[in-house]
Amino acid sequence: MHAALLIAAKDLRQRVRDRSAIVVAVIAPFALAAIFGMLIRDGGTEFTAHYAIIDDDGGPIAAAFIDGPMAALADPETGVAEIVDVASEAEAREQVDAGELDAVILIPAGFSDAVLAGGGAKLAIIGNTDSTLGTEVARAVSSAFMDELAAIRLSVAAVLEAQGRTPDPAYAAELAERAQQSATPVTLAGTLADSRQMGATTFYAASMAIFFLFFTAQFGALSLLGERRGGTLPRLVAAPIPPWAIVAGKALGSFVLAAVAMAVLVASSTVLLGATWGDPLAVATLVLGAVVAAMGITALITTLSRTEEQAGNLNSIAAVSLAILGGAFFPLGRGPDILQQVSLLTPHAWFLRGISDLGPAGTGIGTVLLPIAALFVIGLGTGAIGLARAGRLVVAR
Amino acid sequence: MTMPASGASPVLEARDLQKRFGDRVAVDGVGFTIAPGETYGLLGPNGAGKTTTISMICGILARDGGTVSVAGQPVDVGTPAAKATIGYVPQDLAIYPDLTARENLSFFARLYGLKRTDAKARIDDVLEVVGLADRAGDRTDQYSGGMKRRLNIAIGLLHRPQLLVLDEPTVGVDPQSRNAILESVEALGREGMAILYTTHYMEEAERLCHRVGIIDTGKIRAEGTRRELVAMVGQRDKVKLSATGDLGAAAQTLAREPGVADATANENGLELIVDDARGLLPRLLQAAADAGLTVSTVEVVEPDLEAVFLHLTGRALRD
Repeated sequence: MHAALLIAAKDLRQRVRDRSAIVVAVIAPFALAAIFGMLIRDGGTEFTAHYAIIDDDGGPIAAAFIDGPMAALADPETGVAEIVDVASEAEAREQVDAGELDAVILIPAGFSDAVLAGGGAKLAIIGNTDSTLGTEVARAVSSAFMDELAAIRLSVAAVLEAQGRTPDPAYAAELAERAQQSATPVTLAGTLADSRQMGATTFYAASMAIFFLFFTAQFGALSLLGERRGGTLPRLVAAPIPPWAIVAGKALGSFVLAAVAMAVLVASSTVLLGATWGDPLAVATLVLGAVVAAMGITALITTLSRTEEQAGNLNSIAAVSLAILGGAFFPLGRGPDILQQVSLLTPHAWFLRGISDLGPAGTGIGTVLLPIAALFVIGLGTGAIGLARAGRLVVAR
Repeated sequence: MTMPASGASPVLEARDLQKRFGDRVAVDGVGFTIAPGETYGLLGPNGAGKTTTISMICGILARDGGTVSVAGQPVDVGTPAAKATIGYVPQDLAIYPDLTARENLSFFARLYGLKRTDAKARIDDVLEVVGLADRAGDRTDQYSGGMKRRLNIAIGLLHRPQLLVLDEPTVGVDPQSRNAILESVEALGREGMAILYTTHYMEEAERLCHRVGIIDTGKIRAEGTRRELVAMVGQRDKVKLSATGDLGAAAQTLAREPGVADATANENGLELIVDDARGLLPRLLQAAADAGLTVSTVEVVEPDLEAVFLHLTGRALRD
């Protein structure tokens, strides 16, 4: 074990001296997470959209919508949305085009009357094309309100009919009151099934962390090929140490670098970007699982390669492909089911699922046992093959 | 070159080493021993099987057959204790370019089991031996090729091995560094270290090695001292004396000296065919003086190992 520690320490010294390794391990994922977070105007741990409402109706149902679900969205406690005052539809459209608003909700004239008459009333959503998330939230809230309204209208009509009454002004008032009370108090968590409970900053911090982890974790296996190319591998094998100590030293060095890089990313994204990772023990276990998975996959790929260059290229292809497939660049929630099923073959999907499952306060390691197990199974399965092949690299036959 | 003490137990015993790579036989029945203080040269062209042989001796390469023991301990890939008796200097520069010389040495010293304090002292020693003490703190990617070669050797010396294995240590080295390396090897031999030295430079084998094994196509074709090998192919030394006096009479007198096979006079002096020019030279010069000759220059021409290799294999060493 002493020899393995010496080799790991030597490798780490070489990596620290190579500043590009620090860039790949920490600086690049942190910077990209910050940039992605800013691009979607996340601004913090919670999503906040900016909406304008143009009420050309002025009727009781329109008021119910504004005072009900939209007011709930704009509740300062949830911070999901901010309702911006605008003078006209034209001004609202201009602000949407300028990116100052995520969406404008148009309540057309006659909306309340149409609802009360049981006709085809519609809310119009004009969204900012650069803010699909904000537009989707507005669309989901509006759609939920209209569905709820239809259900209430049916139930009120049934009650009136049972009582032998006909629709009258009291009917409109009752419908509006129940709609306002019952309309779904929409929350971001409820509408954003794609990213579950994760804020955008947390999502991109986690996704960039595991994406770049694949570049950091490969260095141990790569350096074994480097030792062979550089001629130092025979000297290590000639030393009075068991051959497995060389492989163990490489794996240990890689593990330490990857784990430290991930820990720095978690800490720095929490402090500097406001990411909310969740229960520390659960996060630490997920991170270890991700490190093992990344090491296993990259060790397998590297030991199947002939040269460092070939291994580096193949690992890069694998890192990008698995990240896309695993939903590290964009959520897979709207993708086809088959894609979501296939994504479960990637460590990325399990890691992001684990982190997102830790979103709600009070959730701990018990919530993420499945993602943790999946990460370790992937890592140990691929790693076992990689280690066996690495052993054959060390002792020429 | 001082011959090592005879009768001592050999440090290295390699017997009937075998290695195949697929259908190709790389080493076929190679075996030899090296005594304490002896430098044994493995001389052969590129691809002859030298590196494969020493890789098996050092426990780097699993062998297909044969045995190796160093200092009485069997050596194989999985025998760490036995490997501690061997200092291995590979043909490739086995150093880390992004570490300093001292960091390289420190890493390998600890890997060979030297304690931190012992390692520091030993590192200073070997840096002196190879003449790199004043550049020890420099990263080795700033070293010249010769300096890297010397550091490569220094690493092999760190743990005071009983057997030092040097695989073509002067390849690609400038003449000055090459000479420094050869002097270091000579000094180590004088200190009693057993040395296995592979080379395809005939001059190095002749200068350093007490015995030489000529290897080609994976087999030892001949083995012995330079003189024994030369005698094996029936070649003798030649001594040319530029002299004045009664050259004819002197030739007849010198021809009768023991060890002299033939002596002929020419217009510049005498030409003698002898068995051991270097050993006989003082007596020959005395005999020439006794015969009334005034000798102005002496030239000794010895048949070299290149000629032996050519004789044994039908091709030159550098083919």
